Amino acid sequence: MADSLYVHIPFCAHICGYCDFTKVLYQEEWAFSYVNRLIEQLDGLGINKPLKTVYVGGGTPSSLPSDLLKKILSKLSTYLDESDYEFTIEANPENLNEEKLLIMRECGVNRLSIGVESSHLKFLKLMGRAHTFEEAKEKVKLAKKCGFTNITCDLIYGLPTETLEDVKQDVVALLSFDVPHLSTYCLSVNPGTSWHNKGYSEMDDEDAANQYDLILNEFRKAGYKRYEVSNFSKPGYESRHNLTYWHDEEYYAAGLGASGYLNGERFTFTKNLLSYLKGDFEGERETLTAKDLKEEFFLTNLRLEEGFSLENYEKRFGSSFLEDYKEQLEKLKLDGLLVFEGNRVRCTDKGILLLDRVLLSLFK
Amino acid sequence: MPFNKKYIRNFCVIAHIDHGKSTICDRILEKTGAVEKRNLSAQMLDDMELEQERGITIKLNAVTMTYKSKDGNEYVFNLIDTPGHVDFTYEVSRSLAACEGAVLVVDATQGVQAQTLANVYLAVDNDLMIIPVINKIDLPSADIPLAKKEIETKIGLSTNDVVSVSGKTGAGIEDMLEKVVELVPPPSGDSEAPLEALIFDSYYDSYRGVVVLIRVKNGRVKVGDRIRLMQSGKSYTVTEVGIRTPKELSTGVLECGEVGYLTATIKDIKDVFPGETVTLENKPAKEPLPGYRKIMPMVYCGLYPVDSQKYGDLKDALEKLTLNDASLVYEPESSKALGFGFRAGFLGLLHMDVVQERLEREYNLNLILTAPSVKYRVNLTNGEVLTIDNPSEMPEPSKIKTIEEPYVMASIMTPKDYVGAIMQLCQDKRGIYQDLIYFDDTRETLKYLIPLSEIIFNFFDRLKSVSRGYASLDYTLDGFRPSDLAKMDIYLNGDPIDALSTVVYRKSAYSRGLAIVSKLKEIIPKQQFEVPLQAAINGKVIARSDIKSVRKDVLAKCYGGDISRKKKLLEKQKEGKKRMKAIGSVEVPQEAFMALLSIDESNEK
Repeated sequence: MADSLYVHIPFCAHICGYCDFTKVLYQEEWAFSYVNRLIEQLDGLGINKPLKTVYVGGGTPSSLPSDLLKKILSKLSTYLDESDYEFTIEANPENLNEEKLLIMRECGVNRLSIGVESSHLKFLKLMGRAHTFEEAKEKVKLAKKCGFTNITCDLIYGLPTETLEDVKQDVVALLSFDVPHLSTYCLSVNPGTSWHNKGYSEMDDEDAANQYDLILNEFRKAGYKRYEVSNFSKPGYESRHNLTYWHDEEYYAAGLGASGYLNGERFTFTKNLLSYLKGDFEGERETLTAKDLKEEFFLTNLRLEEGFSLENYEKRFGSSFLEDYKEQLEKLKLDGLLVFEGNRVRCTDKGILLLDRVLLSLFK
Repeated sequence: MPFNKKYIRNFCVIAHIDHGKSTICDRILEKTGAVEKRNLSAQMLDDMELEQERGITIKLNAVTMTYKSKDGNEYVFNLIDTPGHVDFTYEVSRSLAACEGAVLVVDATQGVQAQTLANVYLAVDNDLMIIPVINKIDLPSADIPLAKKEIETKIGLSTNDVVSVSGKTGAGIEDMLEKVVELVPPPSGDSEAPLEALIFDSYYDSYRGVVVLIRVKNGRVKVGDRIRLMQSGKSYTVTEVGIRTPKELSTGVLECGEVGYLTATIKDIKDVFPGETVTLENKPAKEPLPGYRKIMPMVYCGLYPVDSQKYGDLKDALEKLTLNDASLVYEPESSKALGFGFRAGFLGLLHMDVVQERLEREYNLNLILTAPSVKYRVNLTNGEVLTIDNPSEMPEPSKIKTIEEPYVMASIMTPKDYVGAIMQLCQDKRGIYQDLIYFDDTRETLKYLIPLSEIIFNFFDRLKSVSRGYASLDYTLDGFRPSDLAKMDIYLNGDPIDALSTVVYRKSAYSRGLAIVSKLKEIIPKQQFEVPLQAAINGKVIARSDIKSVRKDVLAKCYGGDISRKKKLLEKQKEGKKRMKAIGSVEVPQEAFMALLSIDESNEK
C-alpha cells in the first residue's frame, strides 16, 4: 500500500545543459492547461488517502505563477495525513518570492528544496543557471522568514575544470546557510542532454572521488550525517519521501514523465507534453519479475548508509540473504565493500563509492 | 541434345573488387534463362551471408546454362566464379585452370586496377582467351575511350573485341555472350584418354559427403567408376555425377570438356584440395594436372571460449566449419591465462575474421582470439630446429642460436605519385627493395621482400592510406630469413600472460612494447586495485603502464524515475562482463587480446 506521491511540474524558466529530467520551457497557456490536466489525472488515480509524503518536483515547480501554484498545492494538500506528513516542493532562487513562499506555507508545504548548485558565478553560468549565489542566499533567508525550517539545498560538483579548491569554497558557502539538509550530486553527462551532444565528459573517477571525500568530511565535521550516497542531514531531517524510493517501497505518481510504482509494476507517464495536454497520459509499464525485485531492492537499499536488515530481505523474498549470496558476500567483505553489523548489511564508505561494482556482483 | 564438346564454352569473370563482377554474373544467368529474374536474390553467386555483407566472394561456384546464339546453335556455358581477395590467390588460379576463356571486367569510371592485372596475369598463365568488357557505362562518369586505352596500353590487349556493358541495366550483355561463343575456344582433350579431372572447389553435404566441383580435361567420369585422387592417393567409388544449373541436376556422366560435380562418399574435405586431379583407378592418367599447390596457412592464432565450459561447443563448431573450409586448420592447445582452446591457421587476416564471425554468429560462441602470429623457424644452439606458430612456445633465449621468419615477395602497383610514400612504408616495415617496374606513364610496380609478420600488422591499411586507396597488393611466400627477433611478454598484475606474448623485431621492441601496454591500459577497465602492465623481453621490463584502481563508480542521483533505467544499465553491464575473461583477479575484455592489431602506429617510435 503506497502512502507517498510524486508530482511532476515540467516547466522551467531556463533550460540547463546537463539536465536530463522531463522538462519544457515555461509557456503560460501550456502551464494553465497542464495544471488542469494534472488535477484531472490525480482525480483518476484512485489515491488512497491520507498520504504521508507528497513531493512536487520538476522541471521547476516554482516557475508556476502564484495562482497556478496555489491551485495545484491546495489540491495536493487534501491528500495529506494532517497529523503526520512531509510535503516537499522544489524551487529555484530566480523565481522564488515572498508571495509564492507564503502560498506554499498556506497550502501546508513543510519542506523546501532549493537548487543552489554552486557558489561560483562561472560554474552557475556554465550550467545555464539563472541565479547568482547571492540571490540564492537571500532566498534561503526569505524562506526562513516565511516560516520554513526544513530546507534543503542542492550542490553539483565534478563540473568541467572544477578544482578541489572550488568545491571547498562551495562547501563553506553552503554550510553558512545553516539548513538542516544538503544534497550533493556529481555531474553526470547523460545521453539526450545538450552537454552530451556537445561532447562534455564526466570527471575522472579519481578526481571526483577526492571531491566527494572532501564534501563528506566537511559535512560530517559540521554535524551532518550522510544517510544516502548524495544526501546529508541533521538528525531527524532525512527526506521521508525520498526514503520511500530507497526503501524500495511503492508510491503514486502524477504529471508529465512522472514515474510511479504500484502493485509490483513500475510505470512512467508520457513524456510528450502534447499527448499529456490531450489527456493521453499513458507511457511505459514494466511488471517486475522476481529477478527485478531483488535487483531493485539492492539498487535502492544499499544506497543508504544504514543498508537493510536481513529480516527485511527474508520477509520480502522468503529466503536468507546470507545463503542466497554466500559466494559473492565472501569477496565483497574481503574487498572491504560490505559489512555486517548485527542483523544489518550495509556498504562501507569505500563500498558506497563503488556501489555499481557491488551491485554488479549481486546481480545474477 | 547429343553431346558435342564444340558447343561448350567454359569461362570465368575476373574483375577488381567493386568493378561489378557479381552483377554481370547475375545478368548472364538471367539472359541464359538459367535463373528467372524473380528468383535472383541480388548477386546470386555470393551465397554465403557473410559474403553478401562484405561484398566479396569467398567460396567458388560454378553454374551450367544453355545459350541460344544468334548463329542458331545452342551452346552450353559453364560460368565459374572466382574469389576476389589477396588471401585467396591460389584458389583463383585453380578456377581459371578449369576454363578456356575469361571475361575481364573493367570499370568504365575507374579503369584498369592493379588487382585486375594480377588476375589477368593468372589468366594469361593459364592460356585463357580474354574478352575485355567495359562495365558501368550507364554511369555519368563513365569514360569508355579512356578505359579502352588502358586496356590496350596497360594490359596489352587488342580492343577490337571490347564490349561495353551495363551490369545494372543489362545493356550489352548479349553482345558479350556472342563474343564468348565466337572467341572462347571449345574445350580440347580426348574423351577416350584416361580420366583427368581438375578439382577447383568442394563443399560438404551432410548426406552425400564432400561434393566436388570438377572440370573434365580428358576422358569421362560416370556413376560407379572407381576413382583415385592423384595427390592424396585416396580412392573412392563415384555415387553421383551431374551439373549445377545452379540447382544440382544428376546426369550420371561428365564428358571431356564438361564442368560439373561428383560425389563419392568422401568424408573429409581436406582430402580434396583445389588443384587435385581425379583419375580412374583401373585406367589412371600418367601424371597429375600441373599447378597443384598444397594450401598453407599463413597466420595462426589461439581460439578460446570466453566461458571455458564451452570448449566442447567450440570443438564441435570447428569440426563443422572445417567440413566446408579445407584451408582452415586447427589443433588443441592450452594457455595458462585462457585455459583450453585451439591454435588455428588461416590463409590471412580476412580469412581469420570470417572464421571468427562465423563461429560467433552461426554457432553462438563467445570467443577470445589471441594476437595472430606467423610461423617462426628457431635454430637452437644444439643444432635442433623448431617451428613455432605460438610465441609462448618460444624456448628460452640462451638455447636459441637464431630465429628465422617467413618473408613474402610483395608486388605493389601504384600511381607514380605515391611511390615515395610507399617505399617509406616498406622500409618502416623492414622491407628489402627488389625492383621498381615501369608499367606505363602513370603507374609503377614496386617489389619488396617483406617479413610476413609486418604484412599482417596494419600493412594493407597503411598502404591504402598512404596511397589514398590507389595502391594494390599481392604477395607470395618467399622462404625464411634470419631476423633479430625476440619474444616479448606482457605482465598483467605481475604475472606473464602467455596469450599476450608476441615475437617482435628487437629494434622496434621498445616502441611496440610501449604502444601495447598503453593500448591495454585503454582497453582493460579499472579494477578495485592498481594493475601494473609491463612489457618485458627475457625478463627485463622495457615498457610499463599502470591501470589505476577505480575509486568511484556510483550513480549520483537515484530517485523514483531512475531505478528502472539504472537496473537496465547494470544488467547490460553484467552481460558485458560475461564477455570478459578473468585472468587471476583481473577482468580482461576480449579486445585486449587483439590489441596488437589495433595499435595506432603513430604511438610507435
